[in-house]
This record gives sequence, C-alpha cells and structure tokens, in this order.
Amino acid sequence: MRFEVIAKCHTTKARVARMTLAHGVTMLPTFMPVATQAAIKGLTSNQMEALGVTLILNNTYHLNLRPGLEVLSKAGGAHKFQGWDRNLLTDSGGFQLVSLSKFTVITEEGALFASPFTGEPTMLTPEESISIQHIIGADIIMQLDDVVSSLTTGSRVEEAMERSVRWLDRCIVQHESSGKKDNQNLFAIVQGGLDPSLRDRCLDAMIARRDGVAGYAIGGLSGGEEKDVFWRVIKQCADKLPEDRPRYSMGIGFAEDLLVCVALGVDMADCVFPTRTARFGVALTNDGPLNLKLSKHAKEFKPIDESCPCPTCSDMTSRAILHHLVTHETAGAHALTLHNVVFQAQVMGRAREAIIAGTFPDYLLSFFARYYGDAGYPEWCVNALRSVGVDLLEGSPNAKIVAGSGTKWEYASANP
Amino acid sequence: MSQSSLSFALPSPVRYGPRLGTITLRRGADTASSIIIATPGLLASTSRGAVPHLSRDHVRITDALRWVNVPFETFLEQTPPIPILHAQHPSNASNPHPLHTFLGFDESRHLLSISAREPTDTREMPPNGNALVCVHSLRGVRKLAPAEWAAYARIAQPDVVLALSDTPCTDAPYSQKRLTKSVERSAAWLATLLRPGPIPMPLPIPKKLKAQPVAAAAPAQPAVALPPTPPVFVHLAGLTSLPARKAFAASLLEPLYGPHITALAPLKTLDEGVAGYTIDLAPLKAALSALPDTPSPSAAAVSPSEDPEAHIAALLRASLTALPPSKPRLVTGTTSPHEVLRLIATVGADVFDARWAQRAADVGVALDFAFPVRGERTPREIGHNLYDVRYRLDFGCFSDALPAPHTTATAPEAGTPTCPCAACAPRPPPARLYHGHDAPSVSGEPEKDPARVLPAYTRAYVHHLLHTHEMSAHALLAAHNLAVLDAFFAGVRGVLSASAAGVEGGPVEDAGLFAKEVRAFEEAYDPRMGVLVEAEAAWRAVDTARGKGRLSRETGAGEGEGVAPADAA
Repeated sequence: MRFEVIAKCHTTKARVARMTLAHGVTMLPTFMPVATQAAIKGLTSNQMEALGVTLILNNTYHLNLRPGLEVLSKAGGAHKFQGWDRNLLTDSGGFQLVSLSKFTVITEEGALFASPFTGEPTMLTPEESISIQHIIGADIIMQLDDVVSSLTTGSRVEEAMERSVRWLDRCIVQHESSGKKDNQNLFAIVQGGLDPSLRDRCLDAMIARRDGVAGYAIGGLSGGEEKDVFWRVIKQCADKLPEDRPRYSMGIGFAEDLLVCVALGVDMADCVFPTRTARFGVALTNDGPLNLKLSKHAKEFKPIDESCPCPTCSDMTSRAILHHLVTHETAGAHALTLHNVVFQAQVMGRAREAIIAGTFPDYLLSFFARYYGDAGYPEWCVNALRSVGVDLLEGSPNAKIVAGSGTKWEYASANP
Repeated sequence: MSQSSLSFALPSPVRYGPRLGTITLRRGADTASSIIIATPGLLASTSRGAVPHLSRDHVRITDALRWVNVPFETFLEQTPPIPILHAQHPSNASNPHPLHTFLGFDESRHLLSISAREPTDTREMPPNGNALVCVHSLRGVRKLAPAEWAAYARIAQPDVVLALSDTPCTDAPYSQKRLTKSVERSAAWLATLLRPGPIPMPLPIPKKLKAQPVAAAAPAQPAVALPPTPPVFVHLAGLTSLPARKAFAASLLEPLYGPHITALAPLKTLDEGVAGYTIDLAPLKAALSALPDTPSPSAAAVSPSEDPEAHIAALLRASLTALPPSKPRLVTGTTSPHEVLRLIATVGADVFDARWAQRAADVGVALDFAFPVRGERTPREIGHNLYDVRYRLDFGCFSDALPAPHTTATAPEAGTPTCPCAACAPRPPPARLYHGHDAPSVSGEPEKDPARVLPAYTRAYVHHLLHTHEMSAHALLAAHNLAVLDAFFAGVRGVLSASAAGVEGGPVEDAGLFAKEVRAFEEAYDPRMGVLVEAEAAWRAVDTARGKGRLSRETGAGEGEGVAPADAA
C-alpha cells in the first residue's frame, strides 16, 4: 500500500489522501458500499465501477459459508469471482460471529461457534481468519478482533480489548509468513468499548505494532451507543492514530456521521445503510432522506435531485415512477441503490474537494444547514464539530438544537 | 408536435407460412431516426412499467429491447392514472413521447406499446360489461371503459396501442352466446378507439371519485382536442370457436354502417384503421384446456387433445383467412422456442413476446440455445438451471450456443456469434462518474477503454448469487435471456433469407430449408422445457427457506448445495 496525505484542512482534522493498492487508487476520505455476498444488492460490478466507486467491502463470514473457499480459490479470488477489478476490503468475520450467532463462545484460541450448516462447534482462530482472507484476496484485510456490543460494560470490555491486541499479534505473524504482504494489507481494529482509558491502552498497544499493520480501524462502535459518546471515541482514536496510516471507522453510513468523522480525521467508512434503505424505498438527498413509499410522492414528476449525477437522476427518473416501483419491482430498488451509492460518494467527494480548496468548514456549515433545515441540528454534531473548530451555529446563534441522535427521516405527516 | 408513423414491409406477403418482414417506426420527417424491427422478432414484457430486473442503464445497453409492451393496468390503481397526469403536466406540453419519458425508454430506440391488461394473465376475473373491462391492479380489480382507454392512448402517446378486447377470464368453458358477445364487444370497443375527434371530458369515472376535488392536471373542459390515436393493433377475438374467430375477422372487414360511417370517417372498414393483429395465446390455451375432451365437431381438423398446437394453429388461421396478410401479427403467451418456430412455420406470426424467457431469468435459468442448431445435435435443455449444484465450480459463461466474447474458460470459435449482453460482454462505461478530486489527473489512472470487453460473469457466480438470494443474479440473467432470444430470431431470419435467396424464380421462401432446421432444433432441444420447471422449484425453495437458520435447514433437508462448512479453512 502507498498512502500519501495530499492535503489537510486548516481548521479541522480532515485530510485528503491517495491510497494506492493492488487494484488501483482510491482517494480518501471515501465511503465503501457493502457487497456482503460478493454483489452490491441488485447491481453488477460493472455498474459499481461506472458509479465511480473504487473500493467496496465483502464480508468474510458470508463468503466463507457461500460460495466457500474452494469456489473462491478456484475462481482466482473474490475479485475475479465477482468481476470487480478495483479495490476490495474484507472484514474478519468477528462481528458477524457475534451478531449472527447466538452460541459463539470466545476463548483465547479463537471464536467457538455453532456451524450454521451442521450446528457443530466450530473454531475460528485469528490465523484462520487471515488465511481465509488471503484466499478471498482482498486488498485490505482486517484482523480478527474480540467484538463486544458497544453497550457492554464491565471487565468483559477490557478482556475483549486485550484479547484483540493479542489476536492482532497472531494475525500479524500469520500475515507476515504468508507471502501475501505485497498485495494484501492488514488493518488493526482498535477496541476498548466506550471507556476512554481502555481505548487509550488499546491505541498505545496497537500503535506499538505499527510496523505490522498498514492501517487502523476504529471498531466497537455503531452499536446503539449515545452519539455524544460515539464521536468522543472517534476523536480520541483519530487524534492518536499515526498520521501516515489510513483510519477506518467501521459501520458508519449516515451523511452526518460521515462528515463528522471526516472532520475528526477519519479516512474510510462502510455501512449497509445506503443500499439497504434503498430497498425499502428511501432515497438519500442533501435535504435529508426521501421516503418514496409515501403517497405524497405519487404525483411528483421531478427527479430525486436534479443536480445528482447518478444514472437514476440524470435520466430524470421521476419520484412518481419510483413510488410506483419501489418495493414491488427489483428495478425500483436498483434505481434507488444506484442513487444512494452515488449520494454517499458525492458527500465524500465534495468533502475532498473542499479540503483541497481550504473550504471544508464552509462545506460543513452549508451541508448541515441544508440537510437539517428547520428540523434543528443534533446537539452531538454541534459538539463534535466545535471540538475541531467548526461552529455550526456561527452566524445563527438561535438555530434550533435537538438532543438525541438527530437521525433525519421522512415521515408521512411531515411537509404535507 | 412531430407525428410518428409505423409501417410494415413484407416483401412476400405469405398468408400462413414463414414471413420475413420489417417494422419501421419513423419519428417525424427524419428518416435516419427510425426504429427498425426485423421480423420474426421479439417484444419484451414489462411489469409495472419496468423491464423486470433491469435498471435504466441496463435497459439502454440491452440491444434486444426494441419493442417494449407496457400493460397499463398497474397504473389504473389511481384515477387519473399517473402516466396520464404526467403527460398532461405543463412540463410535457411539447413532449411528443411523454410515456417514453415517464417510463425511461428512449424514443430513438424503443417502440413502446400499451395494452390494458397483462396479456398472459389468465387469473379468474369478474365478468366484463358491455362497456367495461375488468383489469387487475395492485389494489384489486378496476373497471376500464373503452372511451377511457381511447383517451389514455391519445394522451400518453405510445407508439402502438392494443385495442381493448373482451377476453373472458371467468369460469371456462365459454358458451357460444358468451363468445358471440365477446366478438361483438371487441369490435365495438375497437370502433371507440378508432373514433377521431374530441373525446368527452371529464371521462366517465366512478361517482366516488367525481365527488373529490378535480385532480390538478385533469382538464375540466367538456371536450378537448387530443393528439390522434396511435397505431392500433387489435386482438383476434373468438377464442376457441372457429365460427366466432371468422365472425370477428368478418366484422373487421365489413363496410361500416349506421352512425359509424360518419363517426369513423374516412375509414370504410374497421380493418382500415388497424395497423396489426395480436394473438394472446394464454387465454386461448386456458379456454381450450377447459373444453370437454371430445373430438371437436366444429370443423377443426384436429381435436385439442390430439395435437393442441395444430389445433391452435387451425384456430389462428381461421382468424387470418380473410384478413389482409400484409399486416404484422403479434403473438403473446408463447412458452418455448419450439412453439415460436411452429407458429412462424404454420401461422406466419411476426412478433413474439419474450415473457417466457424473461420468466426464466426470474427463476434462475440462463438460456443456452441457438437457431440454426450448431455443432453436435445431442438432445439437451434450452438453458441451465443455475441453482443446480453442478454449476458451483463452472466458471464458464452462461451460454455455449452463444458464447461470451471474453471468457476465462474457453475462447469461442472464430465466426461464432457471441452474446452481446451485459453479463457476457461487460464493458467499461463510456464515462464513469467522478465525485471530487478523484479524476484521472489526480489519481494518475487513465480511463478504461470502453471498447474493451471484460471477462464474462460466470455460471458459478450466478449460482452463488441465486443461492444467496441476491437480486444481481436476475439482472444478469434478464439481460442475457433477452439477448439469447434476440439472437435466436436473428438466426431464424438468417435461415429464412438464405432459403429465399437460394430458390430462384420459385416461391420466395423455401419452406424446405426452414422446416429442416426446425426439425433439427426440435431434435436438439428438449421441448418439454423441464429445466424451467426444475429451476422454478429451486427458486421457490430458496425463496421460502431464506432467513435465519437457513443453512442448517437446508442441510437437514438434504438440499444443501454442498459448499464447504464454515470451518474448512
């Protein structure tokens, strides 16, 4: 991997970087759409490339089950299997072991879980996770970490953090000895729950292993924790992580979260949200999400966003026909998935341009003003951005502020 | 407003045999911007106005899509229907093709027709009335009046409108009285559609809706001048009865009488106003299967149970006996390429719906057949049920008969036609999107050459996508199956024109060569279409089993696809 920071925001911690991997260049900060089972829902790899996406994510847990490693290795890796010759990242499977399997027991050796095929106890060790990811062949692979829900408290969080560090060592050894280091890059995952002191210890330990890792992910978040805690953990990690390594915030996908994370110094993020919400009929826009299932869109002949370059909007696909199609025809889901993937890419692309131009704080102000409008700014966003020198209330001290996550959603009753 | 014109050139107007023709849709005065559809050819079906599984960018790169039919009934959930509101919207005041715009079809490439109903839907419906057709929408049965249909066609301006037909979808078999009524109503409804001049507005709509405030864009004038009716295709009514079919044809040809003379002027017969004929096989087959199983006394040469296809051919020929052979004949509800070939050979049909091939994509079948048959003639299926475990490690392209131009497995022989679909011949986009500081000047990466064909998506990949219930599988298969069917028709036309050229001075089409190739096709490809049945079962199994715990359920049922267990690292 070659990672070059080419510009920094003069006010916030945001930066633009060029990350060169075996399958090309990805400009950071970027959002990575999730192709869980080797396909972005409903789209083809070729379409994704046309959308200007250069880095997507596959899930190791799922690919290991189906199609299985035999198929992937005979196909020549996941890139060839899915016809994707851009960059690819795989997670370690640790998160799905916890989220999808009720019976997972974590031991020092690895994660013991019930095989979804036979129900028999099966062990996933850090070494195995890395070997699986070597066969999948992603450009960025993740260490196996001991994942606990972000709402967990007590000694289990500390144990998980420390075990994640020990497992990182085993992953590094496995990766170093594999001969795959030239084409695949191992990322560490910072754990430690919501406890700043645990995060700090984890950061120290993982930074000490920087020679063995190409980048750092911030894990253990996006699990229902308070947003005000979330951003503080992100900030703490981003502040401390080395300048010369990419920083990846796992499971982040709402536009406001993305921009706050970028301002705090995050380079990469992934989430199923934009593609999943598309299938339920929701289009993401700079004015907030549009729920096209609502009957108020049935007679709207304008597109989702006239200025959006996505295939759906540039073809002037009307909200009315989308209302007619979504959740009934797969073509409706495809149209919104294309749009939402481009929306995410645009949010990040504009951030890159603003950082280069030295106008990133202005971009934040105008984005948030338009996105939230009269609904009011989420308090946590105001606090988070203040911590890096941007005041959303600048010039409008009486602007409305709302507590809670502030996630924007379109309801049937709003704006009749 | 530029008017389009539809024409059908049939160098040799054969009444009942194979016909080579060309449908030309001319847009305005510019002859260069014409849509040309060589026949025999295909018509693609849509669902809710969209080609199933294809996003608009895929529609644009699927060359097989030339004629697209839109069943309008799904839009009749609302009154007035949304496409009508759209066409009447001020922003479309000077748009000659508002329906193309609304549905995302390209008026320079797509001939768009509308039919009131999905022609293959034979679900039982309430009976039609003298001036009301029952149609199926997501919110239940709706009633559509012939005058409404005429107005919708003239407002939405598709390229072709299929006239309303009184096709009974009640409890078959149908009495002679019912079929007589069907023939009379169908002719009367055609007359309503052909009537020029203003249409009374507002249209007769149910009282309940009238009470509501008038919808924004609906003009409230008593009568408005509308664009002329697009070219009309009429369904050959009469269902299972030879006399009824002949009577309907006769009613098209008889001189207009009474008030129709002035109302339909300058037409002298209904047939003069008709651009083509449609034949819906699905209701016909349903009605035939409900007939009592006795040798047909009604002059048909063969009884339905002995040879259903020959019986259907006899019925269709009865409709066509007197009608001019020079008009295109569109057939919906075919279920196999074998059936298509026989209809070409024995009836002389020109355009066939692709619905069965599109349905094959729904259930995971990649079509793999070609006409004329090439290479070995061992019996085989017309496609691959990609759910089948045998494709788990098959990294070949979807079709052997129509191979991908660039596969990792084997290179196609020189001279063999290759599959142009989005799955078999993916190409870098002519212009990919950039989002900010990621252009080639920044990344240092040049744009990819859009002429370069990339490796095809493989059977193994789609096998995986099907078993993981990923929608991408169906997008790839839908594009592919349309391309295979399109190539099939190109092959049919190739054989027909070769035989025409080969016989000097004789009958223009040599039925001999074509018939020989049809026989070879029938020997090579299993006409039972078992692969579709098999795939449908597998598709249902995945569809019902999905959800948490699916893998173990499948293993327990002995239907696991045999992938390595999770611990095999």
